[in-house]
Amino acid sequence: MSDEEHHFDSKADAGASKTYPQQAGTIRKNGYIVIKGRACKVVEVSTSKTGKHGHAKCHFVGIDIFNNKKLEDIVPSSHNCDVPHVTRTDYQLIDISEDGFLSLLTENGNTKDDLKLPTDETLLAQIKDGFAEGKDLVVTVMSAMGEEQICALKDIGPK
Amino acid sequence: MQSAGISFLESLVSEFSPGTSTGMGLPKDYHEQCHSSMELNYLKEFYCWAKSAALNVADKIVSCYANISEEKVCSRALRFMFQVLNWNFKSSPSALDNSSSKSNSGSFGIRPDMGLLKKFERSLLEPGPLWHDALLSSGHMLWLLNFYAIVRQKHSSDMLWFDSPLAVSARQLIVQLCSLTGTIFPSDDGEMHIKHLTQILSAVIEWVEPPNIISGALRSGRSESEMIDGFHALLSMATLTSTMLFDNLLRSLRPFGTIHLLATLTCEVVQTYVIKNDDEQTWSSEALDIMLEIWTVILGRSGNDMKISAEGISSASNLFSTIVESHLKAAAESAFEDDSEADYFHVSVSRRDETLYAYALIARAAVETTVPFLTRLFSERFALLSQNNERMDPTQTLEELYWLLLITGHVLTDSGEGETVLVPEAIQDGFSGVTEELQHPVIVLSWSIISFAKQSLDPKMRNAYFSPRLMEAVIWFLARWVDTYLMPIDAAKGQLGISGHDEGLQQHPQSSKKVLLSFAGQHSQGETILDTIIRISMTTLTSYPGENELQALTCWKLLVVLVRRRHVCIHLVALESWRDLARAFANERTLFSLNARLQRSLAETLVCAASSFKDLETSNQYVRDLMGPMTAYLVDISSRNDLKAVAQQADAIYMVSCLLERLRGASRATQPRTQKSIFEMGCAVMNSLLTLLELYKNQSAVVYLILKFVVDFVEGEVAFLSAKETSILVNFCLQLLRIYSSHNIGKISLSLSTSLQSEAQTEKYKDLRALLQLLTNICSKDLVDFSSFSNDAESTDIAEVIYVGLHIVTPLISLELLKYPKLSCDYFALISHLLEVYPEKVAQLNKEAFDHIVRTLDFGVCHQDVDIVDKCLRAVNALASYHYKEKIAGKEGLGAKALSSEESNGEFQQSILSYFLRLLIQLLLYQDFRMELAGSAADALFPLVLCEQDLYQRLVQEILEKQSNPAIKTRLASAFYALTSTNQLSSSLDRNNRFRFRKNLQVFLIEVSGFMRII
Repeated sequence: MSDEEHHFDSKADAGASKTYPQQAGTIRKNGYIVIKGRACKVVEVSTSKTGKHGHAKCHFVGIDIFNNKKLEDIVPSSHNCDVPHVTRTDYQLIDISEDGFLSLLTENGNTKDDLKLPTDETLLAQIKDGFAEGKDLVVTVMSAMGEEQICALKDIGPK
Repeated sequence: MQSAGISFLESLVSEFSPGTSTGMGLPKDYHEQCHSSMELNYLKEFYCWAKSAALNVADKIVSCYANISEEKVCSRALRFMFQVLNWNFKSSPSALDNSSSKSNSGSFGIRPDMGLLKKFERSLLEPGPLWHDALLSSGHMLWLLNFYAIVRQKHSSDMLWFDSPLAVSARQLIVQLCSLTGTIFPSDDGEMHIKHLTQILSAVIEWVEPPNIISGALRSGRSESEMIDGFHALLSMATLTSTMLFDNLLRSLRPFGTIHLLATLTCEVVQTYVIKNDDEQTWSSEALDIMLEIWTVILGRSGNDMKISAEGISSASNLFSTIVESHLKAAAESAFEDDSEADYFHVSVSRRDETLYAYALIARAAVETTVPFLTRLFSERFALLSQNNERMDPTQTLEELYWLLLITGHVLTDSGEGETVLVPEAIQDGFSGVTEELQHPVIVLSWSIISFAKQSLDPKMRNAYFSPRLMEAVIWFLARWVDTYLMPIDAAKGQLGISGHDEGLQQHPQSSKKVLLSFAGQHSQGETILDTIIRISMTTLTSYPGENELQALTCWKLLVVLVRRRHVCIHLVALESWRDLARAFANERTLFSLNARLQRSLAETLVCAASSFKDLETSNQYVRDLMGPMTAYLVDISSRNDLKAVAQQADAIYMVSCLLERLRGASRATQPRTQKSIFEMGCAVMNSLLTLLELYKNQSAVVYLILKFVVDFVEGEVAFLSAKETSILVNFCLQLLRIYSSHNIGKISLSLSTSLQSEAQTEKYKDLRALLQLLTNICSKDLVDFSSFSNDAESTDIAEVIYVGLHIVTPLISLELLKYPKLSCDYFALISHLLEVYPEKVAQLNKEAFDHIVRTLDFGVCHQDVDIVDKCLRAVNALASYHYKEKIAGKEGLGAKALSSEESNGEFQQSILSYFLRLLIQLLLYQDFRMELAGSAADALFPLVLCEQDLYQRLVQEILEKQSNPAIKTRLASAFYALTSTNQLSSSLDRNNRFRFRKNLQVFLIEVSGFMRII
C-alpha cells in the first residue's frame, strides 16, 4: 500500500466537507447516504439492471435520520453517491432549562447550551424523568450536515 | 335421499381420519382405536355402498335420462370413493413385506417409490389385500373407465363438461387408483399390477392424445383439467415402474412407447409455455411442472432401472431440440424487456435451476446428438458476434448466448452442492467411439465456450458485447465447469473410477473417458485454462465497477472453486496472474472499490491458496505479504494524532470497514499451515482494535465488524495456541468485552421512527450474538487443543475468563432478546456448555448473575425450538448432577443458591431444583412433549429426582389424586412405579444408571401419552 495514496484527505480542520463521495455499489444496508439533500440511514438496497443487458443500478430506501421521513433514490451502481459524515458525541447532561434547552458538559470542560429538547412526548419524558430522578445521564448527540439531535441516553451513575 | 346418505358418510369418514377430525377431549389412544376399527370393519363396506349408489344411476346417466339430482348423486358417490381411497391406511402389512416386494421389483419393473409423489401432495395408495375384491377382481376398474369414456363421448361438444363435478370426481378417482400398489396385488411377478396400469393407460391416453390437437383445443379455450389429470396418472405410473417397463406399457396399444408419447406431449407444453405474457395459458406452467417431474423420475434413476430404448433416445433428442429452440426464440424476444428478476442468481434460482436440471437430464439421455447440437448453436451465435461490425444491435444474440450458457452448464455439470463434483455419468460413458481429443464433442463444446469467455479480456470486445448479464452467465458457467473438468480427481490419481454397471461396455468408453478427463488435466492444458480464468476474474472485479451481482458470483462461486482442491492450488500459486491478483489486493487501491463483503471473501480465497505451498515458511510468508499492508495500515490509522477529528469521516469509516472485512476473511481461512502468520496478523492489530472500538463506540456498523473479526479470529486460532499465546488472546478478549459492555450497559437509543428503533435493536442483537459466539469459541480451547506443549505455570484458566465474560454479557441479555431464535440458540449453547464443563464456576457466580441464568433456563425449557429445549435440559442436568454429587461428597453444592430466591411471584420460593423438577414433570405429562427430547429429558429428570426424593414422591401423589378416572389412575400409578423401580435402577449417577433411566422414561412416555394426551 503506497503511502501517498492512503492518507486521509485531511479536510478535517478547515471547512470540513459535510459529505464524502462513495460508489453506490459499495453502500450497504445500515450505512448512510444523502438523498434529496437529507442525511439518511439506508434501510433497504436492491439492484436491478437498465434493460437486460444494461448496467446495474441501485435502488435505495433511506430514512431521514432527523425527521424520520422515508426517502428513495435510484443511482447507477458505478456512480458515486454522497455519504454524509455522521458523528455522535457524548455529553454529560448538566441541566434542563425552562425554555426547552439542554445544558451539556463537553469533554474539555466547556458547556454546550444550544441543543433543544426533542419535541416528541415520549422522548422528552424519557430524558426529563431520568433527570428528575437524579440519575447521572450521558446523552449521545448525533450530528450530520449541520443538524443535531439526541439519539441515545445512558445512565452512568453508580449502581 | 341417497345424496344425503353419502354426505353423512363423507363427514363420518373425515371425522375418523386423524388429520381432519375435530377435537373431542378424548385421549389419543382412543382415537387410534377408532381409526383402526373404522379401517378394518367399515371403510370397505362404505366404499361398496357408494359404488352401488353410483352404479344405480350410472345407466341412466349413460342413456341421458338422468335428471340433475341423479347426476349429483353419482358425482357425490364418486367423490366419496375418492375420499375413502385417500384414507391413511395403517393396517396394510407393507412394512413387513417390503423385502419380498423389493426382490421381485427388480426383475419385473414394479418399484414402489414412496417419496416421489410428494411434490404434488399425493401419496401412494396401499390398502392391503383385503381390498382386492372391491377394487381389482370385481371389474370395478373397467366399469369406471368405460363409464367415464361413454359419458365423455356424449359431451364431446360441450367444453364446460370437463369441469363438471361428475367429470372431475370420476377422473380424480381414476388417478387415485393409478397409484394403487402394495400387497393388494398378488405376488404374481407384477403381472396383475402391469395389467391394471395398462388398463388405466388405455383410457387415460384418450385424454392426452393426439398432443397437438389437445393443446390446440386448450389454446382455443377448452379446460385443461382433463389433460392435467392425465399427466398426474402418467406420473403415478412412472413412479411405480422402471423406466423400461414404463416405456413398454404403451406398446400393446400403440406402435410406439410411452416415452415417445411423453416427448411429444412435453414438446407441445414447452412450446406453449415459452410464449409467456399470455394470461390465459397459465395451465402450461403447471403442465410443464408435472411433465418435467415425470422426466426427472424416469431419467434420474441409475443402473438397470434406467435403460431406454433407441426410440426413447431419439425422442429425447428431438424433445431437447424443441426445448432449446423454443427457449432461444423466447430469449431473443424478451431481450429488450426490463430485467424484473433482480436477484436472479440468488432467489428464483432454485426454481429455474430445477427446470434446467430436468432439461439437462433429457439432454443427457441422448448425449451423442444433443452435445454437438449445443456446440453448433453456440458457435453460430459466437460467429454472428464476431462478424458484426457494430452495425447491428447485438442484444438478442447476447440473450440467446446467455440462455445457451445456462443450459450448457446444466447439461455438462451437476450442481454438486456440498459434495465432490464428478463428471455426469451419462457424459463419462457416452461417445464410445471417440479417441481423439479434438473430436470429443464435450471437449469441443468446452473449448468453444472458454475461447468465447477469453474474448472478454479484450477491452473493445468487452465494451461492445460482454454485458454484465452475459458475463454473469460466463462466470457461473466457468465456476461449474472448473469444479467438474479442470484437473479432475480421477485423472489426478492416475486411475479412472470404474462404476459397476458398465462392465460389458468397458473397452470403448474407457478411452473416450480418459480423453475427456485428461484434456484439462495437470499435465495438459489445465494450467493455461486456469490462467485464463484468473485473468477473466480480475477483469470482472476491476472493469465492471458497481456490478455487485457479477462480482459476487466471481468471488463467491468462481474463485472459491479454484482454491477448493489442493492440487489445483499448487498450480494456482505458481501462476503470474494469481500473483498479480494478490499484489493488487495487497498493495493497490482498485480492489477497495469492491463491496466490503466481497473483499472479505477475496481475502479468504487468497489466504486459502497458501496451504498449497510445500514449505511451511513459504505459506506463512505468503500470508504475511498479503495481509501485512492491511495490518500496517490499521495500526497507522489508530495511532494518528488527529485520529479523533478524522475518524468519524465517512471515508475513514469506509476504509476501516474494508480493512476489518479483509482481516476477517483472512482469519476465516486459517489452516494449520497458516495459523502462525494469521496469529501474528491478529496480534499486530489488537491494540489498534481496542482504540478503534473505543473511538467508534457510536458507529454500530464498525463495532460489529470488530466483534465479528475477533469471533472468527478466535475460532480459527484458539485450538493451536500455546499457553502464552492463549493468555495474550484471552486478555485481549476480556479487554474487548469490558470496553464493549461499558459502552452499552444501560444505554437506551432514542428515535421517533419505529423502523430506525428496530434497526438499532437488531444491531444490538447482532452484537450480542457475536459476543456469545466469542465466549463459546474461547470455551472450545478446553475441548480441542492442538498446541504442541503446555506449561502449567503460564496457562490461563479459561474458566476464569468465561466467568468474567459471563458477568459482563449476562446483564445485556434480556428475555426480550432471547426471542430471537439465533441469539437464544447461541446463548443456550454457551450456557449448557458452561454448566456441563464448569459447574463449580457457575455456582460461584454472584447471586444476580446466577438468578439471571436460572431465569433464562426456565424460559428456555418452555421454548418451541427443540434444539433450545435440548440445550436447556442438558444445562439443568448438569446443574442437578453437580449438586447431587457435591452433596454426596458432603459438600455444599449449589448451597444457598439452590435453596432460596426472593422472587416475588412465589415461583422461585422453593429451591431451584425442585422448581425444575415440578416444571419437567408438568411438561412430560400434560404438554405436547416431543419424543426426540426423551433422552435429554431423562438425563435431566434423573438427578433432579435423586436430589429431591421427597418432593418427587409428593408430586406423584398429587398427580394421582387429581385423576378422577380410576382406570387411568391405576395405569398412571403403575407407570410411575415402573419409572423408578424397574431395570435395577439405583441411586447413583453413573452411566449405566442413566442409561436405564432413559429406557424407563421412554417406556413411561409411550405408555402415558396414549391416555394423557387429549385430542
